[in-house]
Amino acid sequence: MTQTAATPEPPAPEAPPAQPLLELRDVDVLYGRVQALRGVSLHVQSGEVVALIGSNGAGKTTTLRAISGLVRPARGEVLLEGQPIHALGAEVIARRGVAHAPEGRRLFSRMTVRENLEMGAFSRRDGSELRADYDRVYELFPRLRERSTQLAGSLSGGEQQMVAIGRALMARPRVLLLDEPSLGLAPILVDAIFEVIREINATGTTILLIEQNALLALDVARRAYVLETGSIALSGSAAELQQSEAVQRAYLGM
Amino acid sequence: MPEHVSGRLAGDVDLPTTATETRAQESSSVFWLLVIGGLMMLVGGWLLPWFVEPTANGIGASPMDVVASPPRGVGSLLVYLMGLSMLGLLAGAAYDAVSLRLRRGQPHRWARQRAVLAAVGMVCTVTVWYLIAKRREEPLFGELSPLALTDNAVWLTLTGFALCCLAYGFRRPIAARSGLTLAAVALVVGALVPLIFRQSIEFISWAAGAAAIYTLLALGLNVVVGFAGLLDLGYAAFFAIGAYTCGSLASSRHGDVLHIPFWPYPFWIILFLGAAVAALFGALLGAPTLRLRGDYLAIVTLGFGEIIPDAANNNAFGQTGGPNGITGIHHPSLFGHDFGIDPRPYYYALLVLIALIIVVLRNLERSRIGRAWVAVREDEVAASATGINTVSTKLLAFAIGAAVSGFAGAFYGAELGIVSPDDFQFAVSVTALSTVVLGGIGSITGAAVGGLLISFIIFWILPHAQEWSMTFGNTTGFTALSSVDYSKYVYVAYGVILVSIMLLRPAGLIPSRARKVELQAGGESEPLAAVRGRA
Amino acid sequence: MEGQGEVRAVLPPLARRRSLLRGGGLAELGSRAFPTVLIGALVLMIIDVAARSGVSVAGSQLVNGITKGAIFALIAVGYTMVYGIIELINFAHGDVFTLSAVYGKEIGRGLSWIGMSLWGVSLGSLATRGPLGLAAVLLVLFPLTMAATGITGVLIERVAYRRLRDAPRLAPLITAVGVSFILEGSMLVTQGSSNVRTDKEGWIRGTAFTAGGVDVHWADIFVVGMALLMMFALQAFIRSTRLGKAMRATAQDRDAALLSGVNINRTIAATFFIGSALAAAGGLIYSIFFDSVVWNLGFGFGIIAFTAAVLGGIGNIVGAGLGGFLIGLIYVFGGQITSGQWSNSIVFAMLIVVLTFRPVGLLGMRVPDRA
Ligand SMILES: Nc1ncnc2c1ncn2[C@@H]1O[C@H](COP(=O)(O)OP(=O)(O)OP(=O)(O)O)[C@@H](O)[C@H]1O
Ligand SMILES: [Mg+2]
Repeated sequence: MTQTAATPEPPAPEAPPAQPLLELRDVDVLYGRVQALRGVSLHVQSGEVVALIGSNGAGKTTTLRAISGLVRPARGEVLLEGQPIHALGAEVIARRGVAHAPEGRRLFSRMTVRENLEMGAFSRRDGSELRADYDRVYELFPRLRERSTQLAGSLSGGEQQMVAIGRALMARPRVLLLDEPSLGLAPILVDAIFEVIREINATGTTILLIEQNALLALDVARRAYVLETGSIALSGSAAELQQSEAVQRAYLGM
Repeated sequence: MPEHVSGRLAGDVDLPTTATETRAQESSSVFWLLVIGGLMMLVGGWLLPWFVEPTANGIGASPMDVVASPPRGVGSLLVYLMGLSMLGLLAGAAYDAVSLRLRRGQPHRWARQRAVLAAVGMVCTVTVWYLIAKRREEPLFGELSPLALTDNAVWLTLTGFALCCLAYGFRRPIAARSGLTLAAVALVVGALVPLIFRQSIEFISWAAGAAAIYTLLALGLNVVVGFAGLLDLGYAAFFAIGAYTCGSLASSRHGDVLHIPFWPYPFWIILFLGAAVAALFGALLGAPTLRLRGDYLAIVTLGFGEIIPDAANNNAFGQTGGPNGITGIHHPSLFGHDFGIDPRPYYYALLVLIALIIVVLRNLERSRIGRAWVAVREDEVAASATGINTVSTKLLAFAIGAAVSGFAGAFYGAELGIVSPDDFQFAVSVTALSTVVLGGIGSITGAAVGGLLISFIIFWILPHAQEWSMTFGNTTGFTALSSVDYSKYVYVAYGVILVSIMLLRPAGLIPSRARKVELQAGGESEPLAAVRGRA
Repeated sequence: MEGQGEVRAVLPPLARRRSLLRGGGLAELGSRAFPTVLIGALVLMIIDVAARSGVSVAGSQLVNGITKGAIFALIAVGYTMVYGIIELINFAHGDVFTLSAVYGKEIGRGLSWIGMSLWGVSLGSLATRGPLGLAAVLLVLFPLTMAATGITGVLIERVAYRRLRDAPRLAPLITAVGVSFILEGSMLVTQGSSNVRTDKEGWIRGTAFTAGGVDVHWADIFVVGMALLMMFALQAFIRSTRLGKAMRATAQDRDAALLSGVNINRTIAATFFIGSALAAAGGLIYSIFFDSVVWNLGFGFGIIAFTAAVLGGIGNIVGAGLGGFLIGLIYVFGGQITSGQWSNSIVFAMLIVVLTFRPVGLLGMRVPDRA
């Protein structure tokens, strides 16, 4: 099941106008003998929200891990503003402005909320602007201000997710990679989180988002890619995909 | 850049992708074991007399020497032929290794030709041996004495050629029944060892001593570490308990001094008593501590492994004889035949014991218990959720492992006639553990191979390095080599061996099938970038 | 103070509750009773010694135990830091301790050669020259030796452990044992099998004051002060510096630390450097002021120090210090009571008891279950 999966329209208005901020070219990822990605190519323009959808095990998380350097592509390239980054260490990629809020939050559970946010800003040297950024995170998530001295491991799931996003924001990223920010949250919190995601994007941060709830994802995103068993099956603008019959059947439950 | 990338790709796809391929790889590891074993014997046979009995009067000269001297007679020609076929086989294996490494070309080309080559070598060896032994045709060998080729060398060479012949000639049938072939070959070669090394009683002593004991220890520890996944750093404690139990029951101290009724007990009963007591201690230690997991259990066992020799050293309960240990342990006897200090009966007894234990362990591994071990090892919580009694499952592994080391301890005392605290220090636990890890955690074959290999390195090569280096130095004129004090370097050498094995093959020489999947798949939490050390 | 600065900080209440459910009542009972029983037993031992051999013997053994404990504590910190960050029992660490004494000897010799040839001053036994010697030791010998040992630790990590960082558990453990053998073996080769002679006379061995018939030497004060100072400095370092934060982050979640821009390799190397340097401080103090070292001294010391780390709660630096002092006392008094024969066994029995009844140690840390 590869690119053939009935693309109804010509794939989006993408004669890349400018150089994409982030681009994957023909990326393969192997976990031992398991091939998780096969020839994945995608791009994210500056200022966009792009969603990555697909069923469990499709390779969404792996795609993000390949971007942020947690796994190394066996083949293909990952480009940030045209510069190849796939050979760099994850910490170097992070310093170049790719912030990854990983699946399952992965907070430093024995550090306080505040310390977790500090860790987000770990690679930054511009101390003077840090305060403003803490305030911004606390504005987005007022709950965190109250909890700032609590150990992260003792927060509720939703609060933890807020810390995870806040931590990623503290890096002042050029690209924010969000892996299922709604995982395990009550519907009302999901809406809140997505509201925040919109706000973050509105301030100019580019976002690549994984979301199981395709409806929600296509709502917030401008464009989306559909992954199936390790390769891109469909891509297009959110509106187009919402119309696509295949997507409707498989992911929108229609 | 593309070249670089494709290179990495090749590195990563080296793993088999299907179940059949896995099986193929496993059977090919048996094939490789046969080939490597055969080649080692060949080279060993070729060089052996040079190492073992270096004398000036020709006795113990090697085929090397025959080749080195000008050709005289048919015998020399035959030896040349032997050498050539050996070189051919070696070159072939080197080619295989290289092409496997580079993934270029096809390994195992000319398998049939190589089988023929090995057969030629075999025929030559037999002829040479016949000529020497029966005809005593000295002129055939020029100026060298008829004893030029020692029996050891001939037998070793012959076995080596036979193994190569078997491996290359019957590649497919072997692949189909790899386990069976390996068992059969191991048993036959094992049974032949006292014959092959007829002239080197020292080597048989090694085989019946260190080699057999460490193989037993590896097998037993493999149950604990490999099957049940419990890290045991104090395994020597159970070995000590077995040895001390049997030693004190068989020591004349108890018969003659303490006048225990019905003394002396037959060794074969004491043997099982020792195993039972060791198993009991295994369970006793295990019961309170098995709740702990991972490293903490390891540390508890480490502490236990330190306490036991310490207790023995301090003459605990007045029963262990303090630093001198228990002396005067009686040698076993069978059907009225006293084993005495001849290593051969011990060797055969241990061979049978090891074979039996392997059969039992193999069956255990495939039984309900074996599956329970796997479950506990993989995920203890999930295992207990499916109704497995994790504590008794782990206890059983501990007890079985301890029992096997109890057997080892019993034989150890019986062979040496003495057990003392120094024989059970931490180094023994480490050595046992490294045999298991080297062989491949969880694999019975691996444990056996690891036990043999490690004991060969530590108890044969290292102690003899001095002697060999001296011979080598004297023969080649590098006199500096003659005066090196190798005993100083034993620690460093062993350390280097451990480290390099772990760095080069962290999964062991013969990884178990289940473990292999585990290792390659890796856990979700493991950063793969870091796995490859590039992060 | 407690619960903030350690590499592996306090368990969140939630997880503690869960482990209670799983762990059963035994551990819970231990958590209350254990420290009490431990301290009680120790006090009983001291009283026993005092009653049998007199108060002054007990007093001097107390001093002895505390100074030994300081040394153990300095070693234990290295174990606990390394375990905290990469979950490896660094078996070679005890030998790094011994190695540092050898380094100290060689560096001291080099210094005295330099002193001789430049100023005609013998700095031979630096510690023997009164205050000046002590200053030289503190300002030159200690930093140099600690740096050299730290670098050795970093090299060990780089060569032997890094590649196995995510290999199955046993592989790095065996490698650590291998490294331990290599270190011991090289000391055997270079220093011989008898005691390594180190300079250890001098005024610092003299008595500082006498209290209740017990002589307290300058060295005792020095070693305890040094250990405490270093421990608290380290504690502060880990709590408040950038590198310290990186260490804690790496210990808690390596992937997440990477994603935050932490250079994992450098952080782990720094951990090894600090741990080894502290062991070097211990080794130097030990060899200069107390006793000579032998090539295989580190093995026994290492295991005892590791016990101290476990007793204090592995991953916890304050715990390692506390554990070190306690184990020092137990070692000394246990040995005294059993006339020297069983001191090792007592420590190891201690280890087993701690792990069985209170696996998290005195200052309660969770132990990762990853087997
Ligand atoms: N560390 C790993 N080792 C081996 N296989 C892995 C590993 N991580 C992921 N995989 C495999 O790679 C494939 C893709 O996994 P990935 O986590 O990218 O899926 P996903 O699309 O994020 O799924 P989900 O929606 O469930 O999070 C899966 O088949 C998975 O089993
Ligand atoms: Mg995912």
